[in-house]
Amino acid sequence: MLDRSTPGWCMPGIMQYSPAMEKLTVDTLRTLARARGLDLTDQELAALLPLVEAGRSGLAAVTDIPPALEPASQFRIL
Amino acid sequence: MSELCWTPMTELSRMIATKKVSPVEVVQAHLDRIAALDGKLKCYITVMGESALAAARTAEAAVQSGADLGPLHGVPVGLKDLYCTKGVKTTGGSKILGDWVPEEDATVVARLAGAGAIALGKLNMHEFAYGPEGLNPHYGTPWNPWDAKVHRICGGSSSGSGASVAAGICPGALGSDTGGSIRLPSALCGISGIKPTYGRVSRAGVLPLAWSMDHVGPMCRSAADLALMLRPMAGYDPRDPTTSVLPVPDYAVALTGQVKGLRIGLLRSFFLEGAGPAPRAAVEAAAKALEGQGATVELVDLAKVTLGPAASHAVLAPEAYAYHEEWLKTRAAEYGADVRERLRVGAFVTGAEYLKGQRLRTLLRDEVDTALAKLDVLLAPSAAIEAPPVGQNEVRIGSETFPVRATLIRFTRPFNLTGHPAASVPCGFTAEGLPMGLQIIGRPFDEATVLRVADAYQRITDWHTRRPPLAA
Repeated sequence: MLDRSTPGWCMPGIMQYSPAMEKLTVDTLRTLARARGLDLTDQELAALLPLVEAGRSGLAAVTDIPPALEPASQFRIL
Repeated sequence: MSELCWTPMTELSRMIATKKVSPVEVVQAHLDRIAALDGKLKCYITVMGESALAAARTAEAAVQSGADLGPLHGVPVGLKDLYCTKGVKTTGGSKILGDWVPEEDATVVARLAGAGAIALGKLNMHEFAYGPEGLNPHYGTPWNPWDAKVHRICGGSSSGSGASVAAGICPGALGSDTGGSIRLPSALCGISGIKPTYGRVSRAGVLPLAWSMDHVGPMCRSAADLALMLRPMAGYDPRDPTTSVLPVPDYAVALTGQVKGLRIGLLRSFFLEGAGPAPRAAVEAAAKALEGQGATVELVDLAKVTLGPAASHAVLAPEAYAYHEEWLKTRAAEYGADVRERLRVGAFVTGAEYLKGQRLRTLLRDEVDTALAKLDVLLAPSAAIEAPPVGQNEVRIGSETFPVRATLIRFTRPFNLTGHPAASVPCGFTAEGLPMGLQIIGRPFDEATVLRVADAYQRITDWHTRRPPLAA
């Protein structure tokens, strides 16, 4: 595997994400949805909430990313 | 029913070129079979009968005149209904695009036509390719031909492609694969399919689900047919800047039937250990069979694959949302309920989360590359379960219960995130007579070795030659 350990020029910890995120509620989700131009019913928001929360918490749980790791790019010129 | 509908594409091509059969006969036999079976199977959204017969007559004239013939001359194919077809409606399996008629062909559609293939029609799919079950509330959900009594899913999203090839109403089809949409219907319908390396085949003119995870590939009844169909599809396309300039090999040359000396990794934790007992036993038997042919097999663990769901949520959901955003604001009621809800999730993924997902992809890709540095291919089950009945939302594996949807894509999605080529070929049947798939994963742009292993396996087994009860 390629060496993704922290090189000298990268500050450890700078790329970490906060694990202490607030849980979303139907009300906060409604506000976020409206900010994005989506007008959703309470029923729709209630159905979406666990899906959005599952995605957020799944991502937040991943904390041990090497700081020097770059995003994958689909533009691999081969 | 005509045996022409069960004849391999490689053989049809030879028979047409040597005037043993006319393209008109071949196309008509398939159209007759579509008329007889597709009322129940619901594989086709649009049957292109008139244009297919006209193309067949032109192809016949070319044979008679001694013209140079392409490798697929006169051979019919089906097109998943997210490939743009000039003058023929392209729905994406949706109501929203129910009447949309593109003005241009997708690159692969044009390339297949250039190789002589004849389009039979546009195939059913999960709406906008966003679902691994292959359900469709607008055009009806295709029926898995391996169970004549119970309506089982075909796997998706290329459900019409899987069922049509399995039922002999088209010899080969185009699928597309963002989380497993070629390999899952191939596994659940008992056929062969390959998701080539990201960048091997152009996505130009293909309705996107998630640009950075979408792959285009063929679905057929054998690895030899996949090799025949893939070659003209592959290669650089200026209309798709992610396509590779690497030359396209003649995949058929790689089909030596030999695996002696090949190093094969059998994926254990997460894959074998996460599969139901029947798929696990079938894949272990397949590995043994290849070992018996001279390959060496060792167990391999990929620890980072557990990052797959998080990475996929971060990348796929917002990419899909970005494409559908305007319709979700103005035409939301026209989506099926499941796809509408899934698409809306992407509105709540932040830019930082998206990039976190892309960074996780790098980790996963590195790990698979590392494993393949000392191995030629990896083996895994294509799916943890066999095809469940339509409407079943949970499934038991051992003593645990899992959601069907997440379980279906569990073993295929990692290789959409990494971009490695991966095929699925039939490797056995459950006690209920339902097919199971062996997934073969290769190095980037080494589809030739993936197909070589698939073909060698099919020379020593007959799973891929069996016919489903609904199509008999």
